[in-house]
Amino acid sequence: MSLTKSLHPDEKFKAGKLGSTMMKAGLGIAVVMMVVSLILGSMHGDGMKRFLHAYVVGWTFICTLSIGMLWLVLLHHLTRSRWSTVVRRIAEAMTLAFPIVFIAGLGFALPVLAGNKSLYYWAADDAKNALLNPTLQHKLNWLSPGFWFLRFCVYGLIMSGISFYFAKKSREQDTSGDPKISDTLRRASGPAMILFAFTTCLLSMDVIMSLAPKWYSTIFGVQFWGSGNVGAFAALGLIVLWLQRNGRLTHSITEEHYHDIGKWMFAFTFFWAYTAFSQFMLQWYGNMPEETVWYKYRMFGDWQWVSIAILVGYWAFPFIFLMSRWTKRIVPSLVFFSVWQLVFHWLDLYWNIMPQYDWATETHGGAVINAGPLSGPIGLHHVGFTPVDITVWIALVGVFLVGVGRSLSGNLIPVKDPTLGLSLAHEQL
Amino acid sequence: MATETPPPDKATEPREDHATGEASGKHGAAGELYGYLAEYDTPGELVEAARRVKDAGYTEFDCYSPFPVHGIDPAMGIKRTILPLIIFGGGFAGAIGGLALQWYCNAYQWGWNISGKPTWSIPANIPIAYECGILLAVLTSFFGMWALNKLPQVWHPLFRSDRFLRVTDDGFFLGIEAKDRRFDADKTKALLEDAGAIGLDPVHYDPDPAKKAMPKWIMAFIVASTAFALIPFAVAAKARNSHSSEPHIHIFPDMDFQPKFKSDTENPLFADGRSNRGEISGTVARGWLQEDSTFYLGLTAETGGDWITGFPATYPDSPGLTPDLRGKPFTVDAKLLKRGQNRFNIYCTPCHGYDGRGQGMVPTRVKESGGVWLARNLVDRAGTVVTIPNGQLFNTITNGFPPTMMGYAAQIPAQDRWAIVAYVRALERSQIASNEDQAGQR
Repeated sequence: MSLTKSLHPDEKFKAGKLGSTMMKAGLGIAVVMMVVSLILGSMHGDGMKRFLHAYVVGWTFICTLSIGMLWLVLLHHLTRSRWSTVVRRIAEAMTLAFPIVFIAGLGFALPVLAGNKSLYYWAADDAKNALLNPTLQHKLNWLSPGFWFLRFCVYGLIMSGISFYFAKKSREQDTSGDPKISDTLRRASGPAMILFAFTTCLLSMDVIMSLAPKWYSTIFGVQFWGSGNVGAFAALGLIVLWLQRNGRLTHSITEEHYHDIGKWMFAFTFFWAYTAFSQFMLQWYGNMPEETVWYKYRMFGDWQWVSIAILVGYWAFPFIFLMSRWTKRIVPSLVFFSVWQLVFHWLDLYWNIMPQYDWATETHGGAVINAGPLSGPIGLHHVGFTPVDITVWIALVGVFLVGVGRSLSGNLIPVKDPTLGLSLAHEQL
Repeated sequence: MATETPPPDKATEPREDHATGEASGKHGAAGELYGYLAEYDTPGELVEAARRVKDAGYTEFDCYSPFPVHGIDPAMGIKRTILPLIIFGGGFAGAIGGLALQWYCNAYQWGWNISGKPTWSIPANIPIAYECGILLAVLTSFFGMWALNKLPQVWHPLFRSDRFLRVTDDGFFLGIEAKDRRFDADKTKALLEDAGAIGLDPVHYDPDPAKKAMPKWIMAFIVASTAFALIPFAVAAKARNSHSSEPHIHIFPDMDFQPKFKSDTENPLFADGRSNRGEISGTVARGWLQEDSTFYLGLTAETGGDWITGFPATYPDSPGLTPDLRGKPFTVDAKLLKRGQNRFNIYCTPCHGYDGRGQGMVPTRVKESGGVWLARNLVDRAGTVVTIPNGQLFNTITNGFPPTMMGYAAQIPAQDRWAIVAYVRALERSQIASNEDQAGQR
């Protein structure tokens, strides 16, 4: 036994053409599926409202994958982690997808700026009706299309900036081998983590929570981040496996590292459930109309079946099985749970976003007024699943693959990182 | 560690005292041979030595280190522990037990109907079930760890070796027991030394057979404390299944019998025999003087007066009121109505409803569970409340309307009761406005 190892002499750690393969595949998927989605979306006959909602689901899905991996990179430096050194370059590649992810985000952000009123109710005219929406008025300065769009761009710049800085310094070390770079990054990781936390929280509020602008929750950002990390670690495991199937890093990344990826996935499965239940529990118990309205349309009617599916599929089943050691160490089993959790992560976002699609109208003094999401009889709110919900998601996953593939170049492992030896020799107790 | 010169009592030469039975270290006479204890310099060497000992076919040996060593389990050929499964069972049982406890207490044995809400509601019970699950999982892992390792063993012969004391600091040890079927004094020693031991000691049992096993006083303590812990249960079981004419056992008599008189109890000290002492006649506490019968009673005169139909003209100049009100004129304005609405919504709406029609949450819930709870419609055009004078309405808020409505004098001060009267009048206007009102002629 030894505490440290050197890189295996036969190890293939250069990306070669794999990155461009992934990029081309992603581009193909993205273009084809986006065209299909645009056609399906325009056929839906609601002025692209369904398309835009599905777009937000798919976009937050790929955005959380990058968010989760940026968190891993920052945590790696903050805690001087050892196990994650061998997968850090791949995590960095996933964070470097941020610019492309945010450019893809313009797909729903630009229509909002341009005056589309079918996605966000706060942009609609009747939202300004002080009699109908007394609790919304004081939020309308924050939730105005111009300011909202500005913030969206700032989030993109902050996330891209942090990930570029950490990836660039990491690559510098590949050539210089200067161990001081690790110290620099460690010092930077603390403030970066704080900035990251605020950005993630505000992003989730602006993009998802403001779909139901009259609703209140203070734990939403944490819950969003926890759920996102489940998907992010699942995606990391799948990308690592794909690289190994193509002959890269076959000696460096072992079942010990898969085990840790699986452990994080398990940990966040429970963390998400804990925070999501905290949000539900306090609002259910407090029984305040402005809070319970969000759950009213999810606990009754069509959506209750989606809620139950998430409870069982996203928490109970993976929680019981991922608890065991073997499910994380045997690769086919880990692959199964990674794919499973990615699908349910999507369903969780769908459940967070889609119930806001149906807007009810009310009659006040003879005038028909748009009351926005989470209003009207429960029977009005159907899951209303359509193929465009899926095709937009796949198209945006293609966009994400373009972003990751573009960054998968050069060394797939930080060859001169001082902790590489420890990471290669990493063993679970 | 390797370069350090060992102190004399930690000589690297194995002691040859096991054959002669001479003193072994400071622990007195040596008894039967327990086995060999070898010390290694680094965790890596310990793992390597363990692998060689296992490969040589030994089974009765163990490794000792100050911290967990990576890779020692496969090197020693130890199977994975079943502790995680036991902990899972413990946690699962805890969660189910927590749920069952809440069901038993809240829904089965002592169900309370709180305005028609379900007695057993899963979401409210999850936190308790979760905590019970964590609690039992933690206890299981703590005690399971001790039990599976057969700990504590303070009488273990290894503690008789001076060298072994460093196991909690920087010593890495491997011990082979003499009861292993492959144990052979010379071959075993050669194997351990060959694997790189920097020190090697024979370890002997204590010649006193009593010191080879768990000390008797520990066993006695466990038995005694277990028996002692059962006493409360036995007493409770006896009390539940027997009758007695003896008074209750009082564990804290000074709390149960306090040197004071509770309300409505007997007191021989006073002529009327009551411990309740009323106000002393001819005196009024500061701020309690209520001589303004209009303001405090709603009457034009204290005796023989009529209910006032309007509102008091002024607030009394009494220290019972806040300084901004004392002696000031009483005006019915938006501020007063706001205050009235605020108080009305807190104290009156549970029964009378926000619109005053007597359809609040209490009548609604009682109706849903099959009962009847009538609350007066405050805004019925021909109803009592609309027709009675303000002073009488004030009096109803003060003293209640038996049997269902209790007086609110203790909760709502007089000035707020007047504000409620004003608000109720405004509510009536809004709900049963006449045509003239709607034409803006009021």
